[in-house]
Amino acid sequence: MDRVKSFVTAVFRDWMLLVGLILLATVFFMAASAPFLFPQPPDTMMGPPLQWPGQYPGAPLGTDGLGRNILAGLFYGAQVSLLVGFASVTVAMVFGILVGAYAGYYGGWIDNLLMRITELFQTIPQFMLAIVVVAVLGPSIQVIIFSLAVVSWPAIARLVRGEFMVLREKAYVQGCIVAGMSDRRIIFTQILPNAMSGVTVMSTIMIATAILMESALSFLGFGDPNVTTWGTMIGMGKNNLRDAWYIMTIPGIALLLTALALNLVGDGLNDYLNPRLRSQRGH
Amino acid sequence: MTKKIQHPPLAMSRRALLMASGAGLAASVLPFGPLSAQPAGTLAMCVTPEPNAMCSAFNTASPVTVVSGKMLEGLLNYDFDVSPIPALATAWEVAEDGLSITFTLRDGVTWHDGEPFTSADVQYTIMEILKVHHPRGRSTLASVTAVETPDPLTAIFRLSQPAPALMYALAGWESPMLPKHVYEGTDVLQNPANNAPVGTGPFVFQTWERGSHIVMAANPNYWGEGEPKLERLVIRIITDPSARAAALDAGELHLAGDGPIPVNQVQRFIDSPDFQVETRGTEMNNSLDMIHTNMRNEHLAKLEVRQALMYAMNRDLMLDVVYYGLAEILDSPIPETLPNFHTSDVPQYDYDPDRANALLDEAGYERDADGMRFGLRLIAPTVGDTYERMGQFLKQNFRDIGIDLELISADIPTFIRSVFGEYDYDLTLYPGSVTADPTIGSQRFWWSEAASPGTPFVNSTGYASEEMDAVLEAAAVEPDPEARRELFVRFQQIAMTDLPILPVARPIYVTIAAANVENFVPGPDGIRAPYGSLAFTG
Repeated sequence: MDRVKSFVTAVFRDWMLLVGLILLATVFFMAASAPFLFPQPPDTMMGPPLQWPGQYPGAPLGTDGLGRNILAGLFYGAQVSLLVGFASVTVAMVFGILVGAYAGYYGGWIDNLLMRITELFQTIPQFMLAIVVVAVLGPSIQVIIFSLAVVSWPAIARLVRGEFMVLREKAYVQGCIVAGMSDRRIIFTQILPNAMSGVTVMSTIMIATAILMESALSFLGFGDPNVTTWGTMIGMGKNNLRDAWYIMTIPGIALLLTALALNLVGDGLNDYLNPRLRSQRGH
Repeated sequence: MTKKIQHPPLAMSRRALLMASGAGLAASVLPFGPLSAQPAGTLAMCVTPEPNAMCSAFNTASPVTVVSGKMLEGLLNYDFDVSPIPALATAWEVAEDGLSITFTLRDGVTWHDGEPFTSADVQYTIMEILKVHHPRGRSTLASVTAVETPDPLTAIFRLSQPAPALMYALAGWESPMLPKHVYEGTDVLQNPANNAPVGTGPFVFQTWERGSHIVMAANPNYWGEGEPKLERLVIRIITDPSARAAALDAGELHLAGDGPIPVNQVQRFIDSPDFQVETRGTEMNNSLDMIHTNMRNEHLAKLEVRQALMYAMNRDLMLDVVYYGLAEILDSPIPETLPNFHTSDVPQYDYDPDRANALLDEAGYERDADGMRFGLRLIAPTVGDTYERMGQFLKQNFRDIGIDLELISADIPTFIRSVFGEYDYDLTLYPGSVTADPTIGSQRFWWSEAASPGTPFVNSTGYASEEMDAVLEAAAVEPDPEARRELFVRFQQIAMTDLPILPVARPIYVTIAAANVENFVPGPDGIRAPYGSLAFTG
């Protein structure tokens, strides 16, 4: 309970964290309420095309070139963005933590081998690699999640490895070894919880990156054509930029605010989880 | 570009710099008024994507035909109702029995290198090059057994059976005449002239700056009276449709064809006094949007399902929201632009979702809890956003009749492999050109023997009808135009009854030119015309 209380206090002391959480909660609300507020699927052509915001009563934010409700697209797009962001980062975290933990704990040839593999992925530009994976496996939401996980895990592995290399020399870890605890138990129950604060902060930023990359993929035509996302909305609207700029701009703003929210939350968590840093910054 | 001009490298003059880029080149030479008959002005047009060769005898990709047709000419040209008119041949006569065609060649024509053009060139090109290497020539020229040359200005085609479609395949961009003295005795596929053609056309090849532009200069010895009218023709390569629209706006391009800009921007160009928009000029090409079904699929094997799909499409609305009005509904697989063959006397499928639902109910397809009966996949190549919008549109229409459409977009190699190699698709949508003659352009989609795994853009549906095959085979060799028309009417009736392919629409590909350009669509081949008469107005 104390932890919850201290977190709540921290939230209200740090207005940036508060704003971030409110924005993020809004996105979650949009994703959760989409099927109830808009019973028809978001790709339904529900009215005349190219209606400006406020012009057509059924679609307060207007309709796109095919007469689809932009507001509905925004709500359903939130589902996909959150799904892609959280799912890809979860996969990347599981894999990255495993690789980083074993490499950092054991060192030696295991470390060498795992880090060379990690570097192999790190040398290829992230977005290019994601495009290649999607182009080879075909655009579907599962493949996009997989491709984003593939490009995200090396950074986590590097971070976790660094933490483990420091922590395994600590007295409490040495104590565990002397007490005869198994390696696996030491890694997962003793060192990992202490290494998680950095990973948590990093993961929020990575979710934001993953959401942006998904939109970029959709914009370039590598998105899942059966799913409405903010990226596909922007991509479909780009040819109307001259005469109906709102089609691109509205999902663009949603994307901006979501990425901003995740970054604010990440910063806030960083301050909260690293109290020493906070005092250094003069909070 | 601008920056470069402000800081010119010492070794390079400003003029040389301008010459180094297509943009500078197009902008630097302003058109002059036609004060004399001398060729004047440099015109910049664009093709897309970049051609991978300059000679369409070996490669008939769309941009290659555009470029090639300016330098290399054919025996014939065509007027807007797709009837032959003179080009390198001034007269022609098809024998009574249809088994020989005599061409009288134009006197005094020379190749770009100064050698005279004679019947020996015709014989060599037809027999040694087009019949052997041209992708479509193997079938269009299949019945040509020999070309006789009684004198330098007469060429007689000998045919094993009548080939009425042949007379529609002799334009310069389709069947270019090549110089025998340049090609004979060489490896013709590797001949340097394939990338720097020696032709008889109004323009002479100058340079090809890969990825940027192609430059051609006026042929001073061209046979056309007072032609060409331009001093220089620059063909720029601009890959993005929006960028082409911007280049037209900026005056860096004077001419662009084949539907060069996003369809939703066309109206703006129509309304602008600075531009002319022409919708003619595709009568030789006739690219049609049709949904090719895969009749190997258990649902699509049933005629009721294919009929239901036809009735489910709201094509009037589609014209507005998908094509922005730049298309015509197709009521048969031969478009109205081919009046010699088209008929509307076929089963019609106007938008009628109730009827579609009734057909599916009768076929025994129950709706599940979500209101869906079954699912189908639609694969389309990623070529422009029209097909993306079309997929979204069809998904709606088919959902209304309980068919859950899954959209798959694929790059062109993947698309060709899935559809024409592995037949791993349910429905596919792509632009298919039916050309000016159904034997050349349409037969391949409907004839059972055209199906050949791995060959793109032929029958992929699995459709095989003895009656259809017999009609198409008879039409291919029927010399009498009236009897041939009757056969193609029958073809359209069978096609619209059996529905292996669902005709959707004929997109109208516009050609856009600056207000001061004239003769930019001189005939049914649009920007593929030789362009001897293309000019700037005063």
